Amino acid sequence: MSETLAGLLDAAVRISVPLLLAVLGEIVVERAGVLNIGIEGMVLAGAFGGFAGAFLSGSPEFGLLLGASSGLTLGALLAWLVVRARVDAIVAGVALNILALGITGVFFRRIANAAGERLIAPTFTAVQVPWLSKLPLVGPAFFDQNLYAYMGYALVPATAFFLFRTLPGLRLRACGENPDAAAAAGVPVQRVRIVAVLFGALMAGIAGSYLSIAYSNTFVENMSAGRGFVALAIVVFARWKPGLGVVGALLFGAAMAFQVRFQGARILGVEAPYQFYQMLPYVLTLLVLGLSSRGATGVPAALGRPFRGRG
Amino acid sequence: MRQWIAFAFVFLLAAGCGTSDRRSETSTPAPFRVALLLTGPISDDGWNASAYEGLQVIRDQMGAEVSYVESLEKSQFEENFRQYASQGYRLILGHGYEFGDAAMRVAEAFPKTTFVVIAGNKSAVNVASVNFRLEEATYELGVLSAMMSRTGVAGLVGGEEIPSLAPGFDAFVIGAHSVKPGFRVITKYVGNWSDVTLAKEHASALIAQGADIIFQNADKAGLGVFQAVEEHPGTYAFGSNKDQNGLAPAVILGSAVIDVPKALLHVARQVNAGTFVHVVQGLGIRDGIVFVKYNDLLVSHIALETRKKLIEVQRDIRQGKLQVLAGAAPAEER
Repeated sequence: MSETLAGLLDAAVRISVPLLLAVLGEIVVERAGVLNIGIEGMVLAGAFGGFAGAFLSGSPEFGLLLGASSGLTLGALLAWLVVRARVDAIVAGVALNILALGITGVFFRRIANAAGERLIAPTFTAVQVPWLSKLPLVGPAFFDQNLYAYMGYALVPATAFFLFRTLPGLRLRACGENPDAAAAAGVPVQRVRIVAVLFGALMAGIAGSYLSIAYSNTFVENMSAGRGFVALAIVVFARWKPGLGVVGALLFGAAMAFQVRFQGARILGVEAPYQFYQMLPYVLTLLVLGLSSRGATGVPAALGRPFRGRG
Repeated sequence: MRQWIAFAFVFLLAAGCGTSDRRSETSTPAPFRVALLLTGPISDDGWNASAYEGLQVIRDQMGAEVSYVESLEKSQFEENFRQYASQGYRLILGHGYEFGDAAMRVAEAFPKTTFVVIAGNKSAVNVASVNFRLEEATYELGVLSAMMSRTGVAGLVGGEEIPSLAPGFDAFVIGAHSVKPGFRVITKYVGNWSDVTLAKEHASALIAQGADIIFQNADKAGLGVFQAVEEHPGTYAFGSNKDQNGLAPAVILGSAVIDVPKALLHVARQVNAGTFVHVVQGLGIRDGIVFVKYNDLLVSHIALETRKKLIEVQRDIRQGKLQVLAGAAPAEER
């Protein structure tokens, strides 16, 4: 039983790491008042960049770098479209997702042949944290993971500290709450928003590269499989707070790990259809979202509103 | 103004996707024209790639003019059938069960075109379905799993539970039970055909539940199954639809192969000659379309008496002595 539980927890962490990274980025983006629907495309671009970098250079570190830059490139495009050109954020985001799906496919076929083959990239391996990884149950699950997980753990307090305890963080939040007032106080709203979008894109790219060079070891077209959209939902669940972002990501990861393990199991002699298990993580997310959204949700007041002033 | 930029951007993207996917290759002046519609990318090294290969064989061996569209959504099926039919294509192949309804809706308006649904169950005056009896190969894999497994448990990983997948999985279970009645087979579905990491998670869960042989039929997501099996020494995998043995030569014992190119060429020749019958037809071991391709590198891992049994099974299926889905009950345990 404890072995099952350990396996479940281990899988939950594995599944939630890319979500956490994307969520932290998206929290910063939305706190600055920009909605990044293109996050799914950025995760996919990161997955491809990570794979291509690691496969072509032979070093996963270079893959991480290229994956992050791939996300960043799409982020620059989105920042220009949404912040500068003030294109509708949803239209631009959806367009970006389609673009990412097409472009990664085209580039992947340049590396593989047209029929596709299994190209294996070098990957990041697990690094045990001395002492902590020896803790019962949580030790192996949380502290016997790869670099990405530790990056995620470290960035949670760092992001929270930046947003709520520093002046630049205050300015960034002001851009999301009341850009006019922020501009009047001398904050360059557009520039702040652009930087926020770039950070979010970077994180999405990193999250994507995790999929191809840490979790699996290859690239497949559309392998992001909706993780960016799940991250968007978790941000709402987390009320735009990094601390709750961890909870949301872990909750989804745990539900997914549960459904993978229990799919096909008989409960009280009845075998539920596999679709029932597959929907569990999503239903759970929706349910928690519904229950938690009463009262103040913490949504940035100017989220998705373009800023027309200078700066 | 801003909205216009957005519209123009989306429009350009949409236009770009539409044209880049549609390619025509001309070869003869009065050509036999064949179109292929696919639900996934031709780079999947599986189901869709094999159909693309078949289309190329039709082009090369028959001098046909061919065209294809890949990665179609359900809402686009009808429109694409219509477009090719109105351009005078004689044969339009919908590569997958999903195309059946759209083909039936469109066919009546284009009597000169033959619509063939691969792995489908629909037929009409100018609509036919060609099924591959993959179950004739997976039955054999089930027998092999039951005789070879040390844990008494095997796993099945599918993409989605579509009707063309079920017989293959059922036959695997029946085959396994034919030699070991108590043998456990656990079935899991990824929910899509491209999430490699989730497929890997499913395979890892199966191995944790005791499975030491896993058969995947999850298209590209199946690569995750192979990776999980590679990470657990002493476990094996089976490939599906194409000869996938080379994808993970250290762990794939064999693949349940459908020779899709051969089947598509067979269909195209008959349509061109006017001898094609518009019914739901099945192609299997006897037609040389379905078979198990063993991995030469790992054959020595299979005990001699097991190999003898497999040859026996093959012979019985080919001679019609063995009905692989006889008494088929749905996969016992998922």
